[in-house]
Amino acid sequence: MTSWQPTPTLVRAALISFGGLVGGLVFGLEVLVVLAAPFLLFAVMGLLGRPTADPGIVTLLDHHRLHEGQGVTSRLSLTGSTQGEVEHVTRVAAPTPHIATRPTSGAVGSLVRKGFPEIEFSPRRWGRRSIGSERVALTSAWAGWRCGPRDLPAHGLGVLPQATPYDSRAEVPQPDGLVGGHRSRRVGSGTEFEGIRPFAAGDRLRRINWRVSLRSGELHVVTTRSEQDAGVWLIVDGLRDIGESGGVDGEASSLDVTVRAASALAEHHIRQGDRVGLLVVASDGARVRLGSGARHLHSLQGTLARIRTEPRAVPPERLDLGTSAGSVVYMLSPMLFTPLVTATATLQRAGQSVVVIDTLGERQGSDGPLELASLAARMQKIERDDRLASLAALGCPVVPWHGPGTLDTVLHRLARHAQVPKVRAR
Amino acid sequence: MRLPSGWTWRVVLMRALLFLLPVACLLLALPQVPNWAVVVLVVMCALQWARSPDHLAGALALTLVIGWWTVRDVVDWQIVVVAVLLTLAHVIATVSAYGPVGMRPDRDVALLWLRRGALSLIPLGVTFAVIRGFDAASAPPGLWLLAAVVAIGLGLTTARLTGTESE
Repeated sequence: MTSWQPTPTLVRAALISFGGLVGGLVFGLEVLVVLAAPFLLFAVMGLLGRPTADPGIVTLLDHHRLHEGQGVTSRLSLTGSTQGEVEHVTRVAAPTPHIATRPTSGAVGSLVRKGFPEIEFSPRRWGRRSIGSERVALTSAWAGWRCGPRDLPAHGLGVLPQATPYDSRAEVPQPDGLVGGHRSRRVGSGTEFEGIRPFAAGDRLRRINWRVSLRSGELHVVTTRSEQDAGVWLIVDGLRDIGESGGVDGEASSLDVTVRAASALAEHHIRQGDRVGLLVVASDGARVRLGSGARHLHSLQGTLARIRTEPRAVPPERLDLGTSAGSVVYMLSPMLFTPLVTATATLQRAGQSVVVIDTLGERQGSDGPLELASLAARMQKIERDDRLASLAALGCPVVPWHGPGTLDTVLHRLARHAQVPKVRAR
Repeated sequence: MRLPSGWTWRVVLMRALLFLLPVACLLLALPQVPNWAVVVLVVMCALQWARSPDHLAGALALTLVIGWWTVRDVVDWQIVVVAVLLTLAHVIATVSAYGPVGMRPDRDVALLWLRRGALSLIPLGVTFAVIRGFDAASAPPGLWLLAAVVAIGLGLTTARLTGTESE
């Protein structure tokens, strides 16, 4: 229905006023004329306000990429020559999972002279969302004619994981890049004091320590440690999603915790100047190479937002990062599959500093303790604990994710451990 | 007391008025009691109208009330009250029909329609005054015919304007 149709209001007013007047005058019924008289104005004004052309209705979103919890306004505009003939606009947004609207009902209407009504959408969970599917009805002056309700298509919206506050004071164990913010074991042109040694050809004059040189009678220079960036790999387990997601304000599923933690870690390390790479373990896995900078962070978060679980996805036997040893690897996973545990152990043995971040969290089953589902869950938990204990025995720390400071202790320990000479298995 | 999802007290009040106003028009005739069939029909139509302000039942409820008062055929102050109540019901139905039940009634829209409702009472006052002061016996012979032709002309114009355009 795209053309203008008479409204029930106009039909009612016209029926009563014209029917009443005709009947009253033809049959001489005075009461009928009196009762029909007020409706005459509604009928005549409604009829005269008939719009002349079919309008075009367009809705636009202010943004097409958001973080979960942020909001976007959907604005409506009319095309064609009918804008002056429209008195009222009604918009009703279709309810969409994980999308909150303001007003809550999704229905809003206002007089055109007060401006077109706006609807605010706020995605409550990361991922690819379709919002703005709605029905729009236009009404002419005196509610005489209505165009619509017309169905308008949805807009695609990329929802990035929430920017969870995360910070860590720990240094990464094995910085291996050229420049960056981490203190390295190599001597270089940083600011961290390393020692004082006799002057040698090629040393910079500004590095001469005059106090020591005067006391010893020989030129001495201050040496410092170079500052390096680190290669950080995030391996994200997108094979299963345990629990129900209540969005950014509610309960978090295991995949919610995984994706939000990965996003927070990526943001933290990019801010530190490190190079961050991403490997998604899922049915349609993805891999983002090591990189740094704001654009790279967007790319990482966009890849995280596209993760989808597939019930038939199988875990890989081996994780190929495509880099040599020396990187820090964060494995974010509820660790429900033995092959994934084996692949993690292989990475650890290959010389990477692997930290397993347990994203399962505490979950309480709603079933009784002797229910079949509850028993199965407990058996699975025992197996999982056994796997995690095996990993820990290999020297691979396992920490549950709990936001800022989650990794401080672990990274300090790994940094100390990294300074010990070791033989790598190949 | 919890309201159904999407309902607000303002919506409840408007829907209650949609039901009560046509019924009140019949109660106004007490102690004279209309025919039970009329009462039942008006109540049922008013209920349906309150549920769905866009429904044709609204027009039927108003027509039944107007019809019954026409049959009673007494031009007194009660007619004016009935006309005001019916106009108010029409205005409330119009404002309610702008959107679904979950849509908060807009204050500007409500004020606009209240003004329009007040404006529509002018023809009512004029008609009532003319009819009360009009002596049918001394009217010019062609007056009724002329009025009927004008009314029929209005009806034909309406039919033409409301006809669906063939695209």
